[in-house]
Amino acid sequence: MNATEWKEKLSAIRDSFSVSITNRSAENPEALELRFLGRKGELALLLRDLKDIPLEERKALGALGNSAKAEMEARLSELKAAAGRAAGPAASGIDLTLPGLPCPKGSLHPLTITMNRLAEGFLKLGFTMSDGPLVEDDYHNFEALNFPPFHPARDMQDTFYVDAKDAAGKDMLLRTHTSPVQIRSMEKQEPPIRVFHTGRVFRSEAVDASHSFTFHQIEGLYVDKGVSMADLKWTVDTFMKDLFGTGVKTRFNPSYFPFVEPGAEVDMSCIFCKSGAGRCHVCKGTGWLEMMGAGLVHPNVLKACRYDPAKWSGFAFGAGIERFAMLLFGIHDMRMLYENDLRVLKQVQ
Amino acid sequence: MKVLYSWLCDFIENPPSAEDVAAKLNRIGLKIEEMHKSGASFSGVCVGRIEKIDRHPNADKLSLVEVNDGTNVMRVVCGARNIAVGQKILFAKVGAKLVEGELKKAKIRGVESEGMICSAEELGLEGYDNSGILVLPEAAAVGADAATLFPRADYVLELEVLPNQAHCLSHYALARELSVFYGLKLREPSVAKTEARGAVVPVEIKVPEMCPRYVAAVLKGVKGARTPEWMASRLRAIGSNPKGNILIDGSNYVMYELGQPTHCFDIAKLSGSKIVVRRALPGEMLKTLDGKDLKLDPGMMVIADSSRPVALAGVMGGLDPSVSDETDAVLIESARFDPPTVRLASRTSGIKSESSYRFERGTDPELPVKAARRLAGLILEAATGAAAEQFTDNYPVKYQPAEIAVGPAQINSILGTGIADGEIAACLRAFQPDLKDSRPWNFVPPSYRQDIEGVCDVAEEVARYVGYDVIPSVSAMPMLPSAPTPQWTAASELKASLAALGFSEVFNYDFVSVRELRACGLAPEAALEVKNPLSSDYQYLRPSLLPGLLKTLRYNLNRGRETALLFETGTAYSRKDGGRAEAVLCAGLMYGPLPEGGSWVGGGTASDFYQLKGVTTRLFAGKGGFRYEKPQKAPPYFQPGRCLEMKLGGASAGYLGNLAPAVASACDLKDGDILCFEVPLGALAAAGKAEFWQRVARIKPVSPFPHNWRDLSVVLEERHEWGELERSFSGVQDLASVRLMDVYKGKNIPAGHRSLTIRFTFSSMEKTLNDADVSAHMAAILDRMARNFGAKLRS
Repeated sequence: MNATEWKEKLSAIRDSFSVSITNRSAENPEALELRFLGRKGELALLLRDLKDIPLEERKALGALGNSAKAEMEARLSELKAAAGRAAGPAASGIDLTLPGLPCPKGSLHPLTITMNRLAEGFLKLGFTMSDGPLVEDDYHNFEALNFPPFHPARDMQDTFYVDAKDAAGKDMLLRTHTSPVQIRSMEKQEPPIRVFHTGRVFRSEAVDASHSFTFHQIEGLYVDKGVSMADLKWTVDTFMKDLFGTGVKTRFNPSYFPFVEPGAEVDMSCIFCKSGAGRCHVCKGTGWLEMMGAGLVHPNVLKACRYDPAKWSGFAFGAGIERFAMLLFGIHDMRMLYENDLRVLKQVQ
Repeated sequence: MKVLYSWLCDFIENPPSAEDVAAKLNRIGLKIEEMHKSGASFSGVCVGRIEKIDRHPNADKLSLVEVNDGTNVMRVVCGARNIAVGQKILFAKVGAKLVEGELKKAKIRGVESEGMICSAEELGLEGYDNSGILVLPEAAAVGADAATLFPRADYVLELEVLPNQAHCLSHYALARELSVFYGLKLREPSVAKTEARGAVVPVEIKVPEMCPRYVAAVLKGVKGARTPEWMASRLRAIGSNPKGNILIDGSNYVMYELGQPTHCFDIAKLSGSKIVVRRALPGEMLKTLDGKDLKLDPGMMVIADSSRPVALAGVMGGLDPSVSDETDAVLIESARFDPPTVRLASRTSGIKSESSYRFERGTDPELPVKAARRLAGLILEAATGAAAEQFTDNYPVKYQPAEIAVGPAQINSILGTGIADGEIAACLRAFQPDLKDSRPWNFVPPSYRQDIEGVCDVAEEVARYVGYDVIPSVSAMPMLPSAPTPQWTAASELKASLAALGFSEVFNYDFVSVRELRACGLAPEAALEVKNPLSSDYQYLRPSLLPGLLKTLRYNLNRGRETALLFETGTAYSRKDGGRAEAVLCAGLMYGPLPEGGSWVGGGTASDFYQLKGVTTRLFAGKGGFRYEKPQKAPPYFQPGRCLEMKLGGASAGYLGNLAPAVASACDLKDGDILCFEVPLGALAAAGKAEFWQRVARIKPVSPFPHNWRDLSVVLEERHEWGELERSFSGVQDLASVRLMDVYKGKNIPAGHRSLTIRFTFSSMEKTLNDADVSAHMAAILDRMARNFGAKLRS
């Protein structure tokens, strides 16, 4: 076969394809594809004949053949798509509104979701996670945190005692706050240090809608050279903005925790009262929500951990997880968090 | 602490409004929990008389009333039922200021009303019947301003006083705070000009370190003196119950006014007419004011006469020498006691009083004289003819004020601020007017602020003075590396997987009862006991998460649930060498048909051992060295023979299995399989790699050649476990996976035997395996099974 004959044959195949695809007599797209484009199809056989044609002409003919192939492929896929579209509406006979088959649906506890998110906030700010026991000794829970024996500040935290003795022969207790982990972290590590801890705490209090003898806290500690209240405020402000958006504001009010001085309470602008100022039931019209406690680490605490207060200073801040969870999930009674009613828990997404 | 606004105002010149006082106190860290208004604050209301009552033409429940206000007769629409002609009532004219605002002229159901007949509530008056209008006594003069008939408006502020705010525990002290922080002018209380005189009742302090100061005043001729009404009403307003006796009420009044607890002794009842401040002797007893017999110990400080204790110092007086209406000569004690001593005595005796509350927090060393004079003055005012006989001040341990060297740079570096020197100096001078202007300043805090010990305390005062808003939100902190703990990471992964597998996370308390422990077969002796539990339900710290999970299961089944997939992560406690041990566990429970709630295609199955094993297998997928073993010793709540131990390398990774039926019935759970598992997170974290890049499973290449599989059904004795068989296939060439397809017992299978259908999948990285290759492998496998387990091909 010479080049001219080859071209004529190609032209004939194209015509024949064109006629077939337009008329689509008895053949479906798959049959057409097999006949023209298949491994033993007309076009494939013709392309195979190229080997007999001199090299100088073969290149141009090959390109011709390939473009014909591409064109035929394009028309065929168009035809297949059209066939699919036509077949669609015809597939009837099932009730599409029947429910889908059940997939397992478990849930994380609202407190876990809240803790995870708050922990993520601390991690983003460069706080590393630290840990400590729940059954503590008096030293780590109170004394090293500047609650001397017989100090009335101990009244702020009614304590459960356990029938086990610590190294000093005193009754061990269930930690009343997460702050002992500050002490344990500083005992283990030289400054600078930036750690946080979250976990369970216990206080001997009667249970009601806003009190529980078991609850959770999260708190962070940073000790370095020249740490100030301004560093604390930036950290707290950034932390809250990370959680509730850049629109929220924070403010400090004077407060007291024995292990910090100066001490502050952190208020956040109420995220719930956009309209009707003064009528918001969450912030009771004040526009502010009390969210955290904070302050600079008391020199006595640094001394207890053998950090020189003349050289190092630091801040600590912390919050109750339940407070955040109740705000986030719209829970008004803390007891709901420990009732474990699956009708409640399964609502958590 | 309750504070009466008008009382506070006694000590401030030109006092701000009550709202302003509350806001000002709040800003410096005194939280106002509640603010309660009392008395009359309305205006434009007068006494009226009802002249005539007609029915409203357009409304059954309303009346038209003619009211005489002394000058005119006006027509008013009234809805109250308890009106009658001739009544004296409270008549608000148009323009009157009431609780709801200004009263305007109004048409009610087509009739104009020229005012309003008021109920107590509408006038903001508390403590009256609110079912209708307030009817006044016959004596009320028509036309008189009604505001004069009621006490003036006042406010009771309920403050939360923090333990470091001992200097705020009185009306005077709060006024002083306002004067220091806001420059308001402080007014001193009027006190008796008692001159020091010779001792009628000598005072001996044997324990000066516990009692650094003791002021004693003696007054004679006080018999029959009563508490004036103004004092009684103030005490009532702040929730104290006045007794009518000036000696008792005056003492309380001075404490609430100045913050100094005082005590009055009836001198006639003191034996030997002397006061000794000493430690209690072993075995000594004291009958306290509340009539209880208190056993004293030498850790306690007492006030004694020549023969016996007459008061537990700073905590409570004794009954015997207490004052009564018969008392004629009284000794006023106004002392300073060591705070820890008082706190210890209060705790050991179990007595908490307003006095011990203040002494524990620390009283002002310079206050006892002023307080004794104030009380003496109040008593002398009420007791005509009484006279002061003695005024002594025993002051063995003088108060040494702290001196703090503080410079502006220190304050600003603590606060992160740029507060001007002058502003800091102004703050310091508010406390110490005679502060010299040298740098660093030599700051001497006032005697009532012994909590100010160092520079950081001063910094807080400066921040309170200037306002905490002065602190900017700015930082140049360096970054430091941060990471969660391995246990947290392990727990998070486990929790997420369990939630994805349909389990719901629960949070139970760490406390369990002895009954719950026993029900789970756990020995109470091995558990940590709470010494002061809230109740017997919460007496022990849980040694396992199971009691809580079972309680949760029961709770939900009782509420109509049929399926429950639960898990919890928490601490389990145990005893260890006299101390304690803690382990964080993740435990779960599975009960009821799956999928939960069923589906319309049917085919729900009951939860069983293999369902749970599927879950744990999924949880540990990809964990190197994971395997199941038969436990040497499983926790007692698992059913023997239905429990597996999980292993990671050599360490135990917990257990799974059926709950022992005895435990289920002891927990009032009757029917069905309850499956449970527990995983110690410590083991999981320890087995996991620390670094993320190490934790990620490496991906193995797959063969480019097609795989090939064969099913094989064999019959063998039941005693051969699948696990043994499975292990025996290891090392077979080209064997990519082994899957158990069917387990069959029954027809055509000999007794004691079972048939297993196993699918073997082969794959080679080098070539496409042909039938001959696979057949050769299968023959080898069958041969192994025949030799090791006597397995025969099922015909």
